[in-house]
Amino acid sequence: MTVRGLWIISHENGGNLSIRFSRRFSTVEHRAKSLAGSSYVAVPEESTFLQLLLTELGLSDSGKNYVTLRDDCLYRPRSPALELHVDGPGKGILWPVLTVSQGPLILACLPLVDVPPDPRPPLASLLSVSQGLTLLAGLQTFLLGSGSKPDSEGLGSRLAMLPSVLLQVCPLGTPLDVPLPGTPATPTAPTSAGTQKQPAWKTGLHRGRAVVNIGLIETVRSMQYGNRSRQDLWDVYGTVTCKCEVEGVLPNVTVTLSLPPNGSPLQDILVHPCVTSLDSSILTASSVDNYDGSAFSGPYKFPFSPPLEPFRLCSYTSEVPVPPILGSYQLKEEENQLRVSVTLKLHESIKNSFEFCNAHLPFFNRDQMGVVDMKLSSGQLDVSKEKNLLVWILGQKFPKSREVTMEGKISFSGPTPGPSDPLCTKLTAYVKLHFKVPDMTLSGCYVDQHSVQVYSSAKPRIVTSRELQSKEYYIWNSTGTAPVSSGQMMM
Amino acid sequence: MAANWAERISAFSRRPSGFLSGTTAEAFLAELLRELRDDRATYSVKILLLSPLCEHSTLLCCSDSVGEETALELMSVFVQCPPKSVQFRCHLLLALTSVLICTSCVKSHSRASLDFLDVLLQIAQDTSDIHTDGRQRPLRATACECLRELEACCPGLLSQRLELLGGLRQQETSRLHQAYAELYTLVLRNAIYQLTQETGAGAEHLKALLGGNTSAAWEADQESDLTSSKDSAILSSLILGPMGTVPTLHTGPDCKELRSVLSTLLDESYLLTPLCQATLLHRLTEVVAMVPGVPPAIFRTHLLRLLGTSEVSLLHATLLLKCAFTDSLFSSEDEAFILKRLVVLSQHPLLSTPEKLFYMDCILHFPENRPISCSDGDETLPVLLTPQLASALVPTVFNDSTTLLARFNMLSLVYLEEGEEGQGGQGLAYLYEHLSSLLSMVENGCSRELVVTFFRAAFLFLYYFCHVERYSNDLTKQLCQLYFHHTKLAPHLINLADQTQDRLSESSWSVGLLKALQRVITEAPLTQLTSHDLSRHLKMLVRVADEGEIIQQSTLTFLSSIITPSSSSLCTGGDWRLGNDILRVCRRLLVHPSLDSLLTPLADVLHLICHYADMEIQDHARLYYTLLTTLSREKLAGVLAQGMEEGGRQVKKQSLSCLMGEGLTSTLTIQQTERAVFRLIEAPPEPRAGDINSNEVETGPGEASALVEAYRDQFSDSSFASEITLQYQLVHINSHDCHFDQLFSIRLHFSLTDHHYEELGDISVPCLLRERPSTIVQLTLKPRKPYPTSLHASAIFTSPDGRTWHTTLPDIHVAFQQTFLPLPVPSSWGRGGTLSVFEGLWDEICSESGDSATSLFCCQLKEAALNTLVEKHFLPFLISDLSHKEEFKVLFFLPPRSHILLKVSSEEDAVHFNIATDNWELLSHINSYLLKVTSLQEDTLS
Repeated sequence: MTVRGLWIISHENGGNLSIRFSRRFSTVEHRAKSLAGSSYVAVPEESTFLQLLLTELGLSDSGKNYVTLRDDCLYRPRSPALELHVDGPGKGILWPVLTVSQGPLILACLPLVDVPPDPRPPLASLLSVSQGLTLLAGLQTFLLGSGSKPDSEGLGSRLAMLPSVLLQVCPLGTPLDVPLPGTPATPTAPTSAGTQKQPAWKTGLHRGRAVVNIGLIETVRSMQYGNRSRQDLWDVYGTVTCKCEVEGVLPNVTVTLSLPPNGSPLQDILVHPCVTSLDSSILTASSVDNYDGSAFSGPYKFPFSPPLEPFRLCSYTSEVPVPPILGSYQLKEEENQLRVSVTLKLHESIKNSFEFCNAHLPFFNRDQMGVVDMKLSSGQLDVSKEKNLLVWILGQKFPKSREVTMEGKISFSGPTPGPSDPLCTKLTAYVKLHFKVPDMTLSGCYVDQHSVQVYSSAKPRIVTSRELQSKEYYIWNSTGTAPVSSGQMMM
Repeated sequence: MAANWAERISAFSRRPSGFLSGTTAEAFLAELLRELRDDRATYSVKILLLSPLCEHSTLLCCSDSVGEETALELMSVFVQCPPKSVQFRCHLLLALTSVLICTSCVKSHSRASLDFLDVLLQIAQDTSDIHTDGRQRPLRATACECLRELEACCPGLLSQRLELLGGLRQQETSRLHQAYAELYTLVLRNAIYQLTQETGAGAEHLKALLGGNTSAAWEADQESDLTSSKDSAILSSLILGPMGTVPTLHTGPDCKELRSVLSTLLDESYLLTPLCQATLLHRLTEVVAMVPGVPPAIFRTHLLRLLGTSEVSLLHATLLLKCAFTDSLFSSEDEAFILKRLVVLSQHPLLSTPEKLFYMDCILHFPENRPISCSDGDETLPVLLTPQLASALVPTVFNDSTTLLARFNMLSLVYLEEGEEGQGGQGLAYLYEHLSSLLSMVENGCSRELVVTFFRAAFLFLYYFCHVERYSNDLTKQLCQLYFHHTKLAPHLINLADQTQDRLSESSWSVGLLKALQRVITEAPLTQLTSHDLSRHLKMLVRVADEGEIIQQSTLTFLSSIITPSSSSLCTGGDWRLGNDILRVCRRLLVHPSLDSLLTPLADVLHLICHYADMEIQDHARLYYTLLTTLSREKLAGVLAQGMEEGGRQVKKQSLSCLMGEGLTSTLTIQQTERAVFRLIEAPPEPRAGDINSNEVETGPGEASALVEAYRDQFSDSSFASEITLQYQLVHINSHDCHFDQLFSIRLHFSLTDHHYEELGDISVPCLLRERPSTIVQLTLKPRKPYPTSLHASAIFTSPDGRTWHTTLPDIHVAFQQTFLPLPVPSSWGRGGTLSVFEGLWDEICSESGDSATSLFCCQLKEAALNTLVEKHFLPFLISDLSHKEEFKVLFFLPPRSHILLKVSSEEDAVHFNIATDNWELLSHINSYLLKVTSLQEDTLS
């Protein structure tokens, strides 16, 4: 339930990876020594630690083709817990070093092993492992901020805040909380001295008008092959995000998710820890089960007491009978050019009103595009600056027929070779769809404004919204060999 | 100064050993404490100063007494610090906790630790800020956290405060109740653990414990420090899975009090952050496991909320709950549900990769209600994990490497269990197809990471399914094709062959692969061969030649054709590396078991190499040729058998190098010794000759000031008195490795650990023999700054069998006093002259400021002791006459041009060491030096 040390690594001004922040917890080290006895391995100094970590992560000696220590084919479960092979006087294996990395950042910590060290215990027996992962993820969110692009200046200033952040969330190696993203944790307005205990995860109290904001976003992923021997795949998952500005130390709010009649049940429901209770029927449906048709299909009630900041109330997956857009993609090699044919068909159940809808056609392992001669039934076509990508902008609406086509030829006669990709060689190619449809969900799931209950004195304003978006929505060329993406449907 | 501190502190935490080699731990600690007391320093700097104490407490406080003193100092800083500097006070509490725990002061109930405990309890109870703005709240939170850490490191420390802490927890309504709850549950858990260790403890004792009734019988035992007696068992988690045993407290069914305490804690757990909830849940699991009187059903009402959570630590705590109570809390439906949940979470699109991998690990170590085997630690599949369920986790090319391999591993286990029929067969076919698609990505030239991933996946596949020949044979074929187009994969393939051979000793797959690769190399047309390819082919053939079962004729034909100019032009350039690669193959063939049949072609090839365009290669080839043609078959076979008996690839190499003798291999390879063979120890001092010219000529070049002037003039030559020479003995380290009894041609190499000295040259020692007296080595150091330092030392030497070795010596520590030299003046100046220089320097130092400083060091020493001290330590540096006992004048010259002057006199109360130096930075060093020599003197005389 404790970590021995914490390290934050990033590129220094675009150069080498270096340790930007580290913290060791000497009292935990003291415990580690007495717990591990003769098998104790001390934490090495920074530079050694970094070197060993990078080797394990496969990031060392980037100029060399093969390094045994780094590239040995012997399988060891590596992530999320690495073992560092410490050499020299304090020789031994340092385990389990947890790492998370995103963008330019690598965060690592070393949880205390509080069970007998020999034989090596499973990770699952160490509570400190999941807590360490939570701490690292929290620090990562804090350091990178909400923006997708981490700026080095912001990172620097947030790194400088870490000592005072750690004083609150992990002063002596035992993680107590994760830092609030963005803002430095400052003591907030004093709370009333009532008898009700204030939740430790609530930084202050809201005063003013009550507003409850509930956003439902569904994401659809798909792999379409246009091939009889290979079944097309798609899945949908939804998240419900809330921002609740409600007075009181521990106000009660209930949000209800409903499905249309005959809607297939929500599966794999995960809830935020502020949800106070759950009905067992809500948890029964699972995507890895065979759906027997008798499962509970709502309404799904989530009673909770909200924290101050926005949070993800719950998430679910759903099985829908058809993908929103069915596509086909065909390529034919003709002398020095490629004959292209794409058809996209919007399913009739989908609202024909997009925020945007674009189809991307990348071409790898070829020269740059020369002449692009395409006929579109709808929308417009852009050729990327790098001349290796076609972007078909379909705009807000499909035509009445709900079907669009693109046909034509591309010659690859550019002066320089385009980008390469080990997967998309020869006729292995895809169309990737990016779209967003406001005010609809694929599963039909919705939050009825009137079903939101807030038990507080003032009547709150309640705002709900929903939208459908795509992610990893691929349509593979049916004349080439498409990679197997999942064996889910294999059995 | 503030910026300087930031730099120094970061230098320290980056590399404490390096930092401390330039100073001493005591000196650095003293500096930190002085700065902490300094009112001029800002609190942000002071917080920085505390970090070394928090992070490296044991390094700075090397003994318990130092820890105790440091803690007392920090406490006085704490008391004097105004309440409004909350952050600094919080950090002070953390530093105090670290120092006291790490130096075992808490364990031994030292004065400072008891005081500190009182301070913490006072802060924890001080709720006067409740009506104010709550600004002191972080201090209270930190105090609770410090108390928790003290209890965690010294279990039982707060057992008797249980009722007090329970009360505080109940009263608190601000967010701080979390800190009290965490503290309370830990103390409760430890107190109950202690009760389980008491014979005869039962319900009454438990009641007394919770009620704070400390008059109970077991209290007397409190004094017998439980923490040290029961080793570390109390520190360990008690939830260990099917094999673990939990100490129990027999209370009978009546433990109402405990049950009500637990219910309250559980009901309020919702108010804690997920991380703290998980900890609390785990502690309470341990408590209920220890007290069978409380049914595990107490957790039931919370299970649904926990099982539905998106928080990894909460679900993990629930799994540990299952591990502890199995079917007394979880039905078989629950079990099936949890497993499905884990499968879902292992591939959930909203979770991070590390979390998903963690959940997969949880599946492989699933706490089953009725486990079939009790294999601790090993990966086993839960019975309920059907291929159907596991199919959600099949690897795909879109996975990142670690996920891909983890899934590959798990699915292999699943299909292995199913067998090759039905679902298992289909699954296996899928896995192989997946491996093939990875292979084709490698073929198409993917990133290095993906190449490594492919070879790891291939290893996994072979590890589990090597016996399924239709796949393993096909894989061999595909790998050969891959190698043919991508020869740079040679090291990966060799590694795969090595690892499969090591791990799958019954299988001959590895040999089969090497045979096939040999065929690929030897049968390909030479015309397309590039020199890069050739070098990789030769490496591969070396590995092929390691296998006694593989016939080597084709290898020899290949060698012969590439070396013959008429068939290939690759070797005509006489490239040294290429020549060596070819010779390496020949060397392996020389020890191949089928050498008999290879004799003529091998001799032919060697003969051809004798005409290679590089002289050295020619020489080596001739040597091999001679060995092959002149050594009797039996002799050769004898040496070879020796190598073969021990088996393995490594040993063969060694026997070969024995065979080749020193002329060849020892010059080609330098081997690393496993541990240090010898070291340098300080030689006993020789009597320093001619301290001060004893003739009492009072005449020098004139007045004192003129003398100082003349003395200074000597330094116009920059090399004047700039070096110190230290004598060391080179001795064997006392381990009996007779192999290293006689060593020759030793070349010692030194490297610096800081910037205070100029680089050192290498030193050669002709030989080192264990039975002979040790050799004296003179180290000449040229200081830039005369500080203590450490030197890394390594050496290259030759052993009697002709092999060359590289070894690392233990570091050499150069103490401060080793940098002292007597005053460098011409001997003709006599005692009078030196005395004048001394006085002149003394006056100068006392009158000017700049880098100069004066100081006073006092200690209690009897006159006799003082005399011994002077004779023993100061004699070479004594300026005044030894018989002149009222005041000794001592001068240490420290190259390049620092001086430390001492006037030592016995006063009424103590011996006074008046110190004057023209380099104030030396004060801390001279201080610790004087402390050491005077305390030595006290010790020997008392």
